[in-house]
Amino acid sequence: MTGMRAARPSVTLPLAYLASATLAFVLAAVATPWLAPELAGHYYHPRVLALTHSITLGWITLTIMGASFQLIPIVLARPLWSERLAWWQLGLMIVGVVGMIGHFFIGAWSGLVWAAALVALAVGAHLVNVALTVRGLQRWTFTARMVTMALAGLGLTTVVGFVLGLDKIFRFLPGALFANLHAHVHLALLGWVLPMMIGVAARVYPMFLLAPEPAGWPGRVQLWGVGLGAPAVALGLCGVPGLLVAGTVSVAAAVTGHLAWILTMVRSRKRPALDTGLRLVLTGALALSLAAVLGVALAFDLVAGPRVALAYATLALGGWVSLTIAGMLLKIVPFLVWYRAYAPWAGRAPVPALAELSCARGERLASRLLSAGIVALAVALWIGDPAWIRVAGSVVAAGALALAATLARVLTHLRRRAPRAADALAVRTA
Amino acid sequence: MSGAVTPKPPGLEALRRVDVDVRDDIRAGREPFQRIMATVKALAPDEALVLRAPFEPVPLYAVLGAAGFRHWTERLTVDDWRVWFHRSEAPEPAQRDADATLDVRGLPPPEPMVRVLECLDGLAPGDTLTVLHERRPMFLYPQLDERGFTHATDEPEPGLVRIVIGRPATE
Repeated sequence: MTGMRAARPSVTLPLAYLASATLAFVLAAVATPWLAPELAGHYYHPRVLALTHSITLGWITLTIMGASFQLIPIVLARPLWSERLAWWQLGLMIVGVVGMIGHFFIGAWSGLVWAAALVALAVGAHLVNVALTVRGLQRWTFTARMVTMALAGLGLTTVVGFVLGLDKIFRFLPGALFANLHAHVHLALLGWVLPMMIGVAARVYPMFLLAPEPAGWPGRVQLWGVGLGAPAVALGLCGVPGLLVAGTVSVAAAVTGHLAWILTMVRSRKRPALDTGLRLVLTGALALSLAAVLGVALAFDLVAGPRVALAYATLALGGWVSLTIAGMLLKIVPFLVWYRAYAPWAGRAPVPALAELSCARGERLASRLLSAGIVALAVALWIGDPAWIRVAGSVVAAGALALAATLARVLTHLRRRAPRAADALAVRTA
Repeated sequence: MSGAVTPKPPGLEALRRVDVDVRDDIRAGREPFQRIMATVKALAPDEALVLRAPFEPVPLYAVLGAAGFRHWTERLTVDDWRVWFHRSEAPEPAQRDADATLDVRGLPPPEPMVRVLECLDGLAPGDTLTVLHERRPMFLYPQLDERGFTHATDEPEPGLVRIVIGRPATE
């Protein structure tokens, strides 16, 4: 039995990451209609690369890092090794990501490499911090294995991305430019984001859906499917076609296992009504199934070309990852704010329920605009019409602004700081 | 099938009823715990909370029991329950249930924390509260430390975390 004095989990640290990430999402979404002409062309355009990295690094990676600092203590039942290192990491990430986006935008490759080096330092700090947090972990659950796999994927993606940046200057990499670029993209998507999302989902979705934790064969399929499939796809894209097909089948099996678990949890949930956050998460899962079908079609050469690739990337990064993250933010941010502002009152005075911190109407508006806008954007990118891209991008931008406004409203509760314990007790006694 | 789960205690009819119906809240996915606790806190000594719920609110028995409330339960239909919560006579120290148990499994965050802290409000010095949880409540521990409670955690079986919380007798 353990009974040691517990370290207070930081609330401001994950909130700082999540606020920075949301800002990056808003900026990327607002830039989308503005970049419609570039998006109607080939994706290998400096401004499209700037937009992509503002989503992948600024929005997705910063969110996962910030959420990790809240969720790791919960799912792995241990405090973060160093909060100070995590703050340094945030500073490095912000400067590095802003530098990368700026240099991508103007096509300045030496500046890009310097900025990428800062991001690599931040990623290194994250890996060290999490590795030292989980060291000595006795029970390697499905989630712990998947998170570890994801962190390995993050490290590899960062190294490959940095090397690609150096190659822009020194031209030393063998193989075709697009093959290496596609390998980098899929290492990030399948090696970093996919295992992190499905690993955390297995532990966190039951908590929110009030469902039993999933178990059985889908877990093994996901572990082996991602563990073998992600590197096989990356190597396959670098020039081993047999590996690409095998890896794609393997990853598709993992995605099927993940979706099977979600379906099981939804069916066995005790919470009768789904709130907006959970609806967004489930819409994200639907987008994942569409992206997976399109990804398989691309791997088997049933469809091809930059237009389909952009639609695939939009369904994966915008539909699956972004909608899932937006849904989780609507759960995580109110909890963190509630904990900071009201937990000291709990048991001593009436405290508001979690749902009372947010604005249900704002949540629904953000959810509908984002869901509709991202699907429309995928279709518009496939068609390649700048006018339709601009319209769909504007809907996404409106959704991102609605999401940010809803989260900002939740943050206003931080101003209602909890009183000291003695004050709270005095209130109760009175 | 309908009827009382236990015989109706004498004197209940003499109390003034304060009715709270949470069936619509639960069907809409809204968490009614705060509303119930706010009503309980405002109850006068001669009042009883009469709760209507679509299921038997078993976890509430421990929460309100630790705050000095007794309950009497009627099952009106299979998904319609009426529970009377009324203040019990102050128990003698020797008769007090010094080791209450609170099961917070299956509750969404932060309800487990709220219920535990509500329950601790009525914990006497030297008494303990055993909490049954699905995971180690990492955000609850600092609250317990700050309020001066002792706590010890173990995992008697996979998926079950047991936290024994005590109010020091010397307090």
